[in-house]
Amino acid sequence: MTQIDVFAALSNPVRREILMRLRLGPQAAGDLAQGFDIGRPAISEHLQVLRKARLVREEPRGRERYYHLDPRPLGEVEAWIEAFSKYWKKRLAALEEVLNEEAKR
Amino acid sequence: MSEPAAIRLDHYYPHPPAAVWKALTDPELHARWWAAGDVRPIVGHRFELDMGPWGKQPCEVVAVEPERLLRYRFSVGRLDTFLDWRLAPEGEGTRLTLTHEGFDLDSPMGRQAFEGMKPGWPKVLARMECVL
Repeated sequence: MTQIDVFAALSNPVRREILMRLRLGPQAAGDLAQGFDIGRPAISEHLQVLRKARLVREEPRGRERYYHLDPRPLGEVEAWIEAFSKYWKKRLAALEEVLNEEAKR
Repeated sequence: MSEPAAIRLDHYYPHPPAAVWKALTDPELHARWWAAGDVRPIVGHRFELDMGPWGKQPCEVVAVEPERLLRYRFSVGRLDTFLDWRLAPEGEGTRLTLTHEGFDLDSPMGRQAFEGMKPGWPKVLARMECVL
């Protein structure tokens, strides 16, 4: 199975919405498709992308396929955001030093 | 997940909002704590922030409320995000809230920036830490 980058998987609003819904628990593909304006084949394609990014896993139950959220790959995104947060924290601390210096003048 | 990369931080400074405002909007002070650039609190004003190894980032001011709010587009045409600086008086000092938002993963440019920066980011950050 070709693996898809988690960033690419998250770049689509429908896929992000699917992940939000799966936070509540596993769902059948058919149930997931309800509430979207796009057809079930399109939802299936999005689910395949999410599966290749390892953000969801499939479980056959009878004639239906159920999808489970697997949040582990999101750590990659968190790390990126964390790097930014760290950068801004340093800037905010540096700002304090400048303010202190200015107050002494 | 609908906003996969909005960052919000706040910090208390024991200095009045006027002093914090000046540090955000005066190029000479601004260069001392962050980056050199012709920042001005004027809506529509365009300037560049020199972020060293990360390059010069084009910016455009979109909202100004003196001593309360400064909002500008940050890294126009590249990362394409917004920086939002909000000041609130707190006791004898100021609470500053920074929001870095608008990482648009849906736009080709936002996606490209996000993708393109990802591998290099830890290295750039490490270099920056050396410079600081």
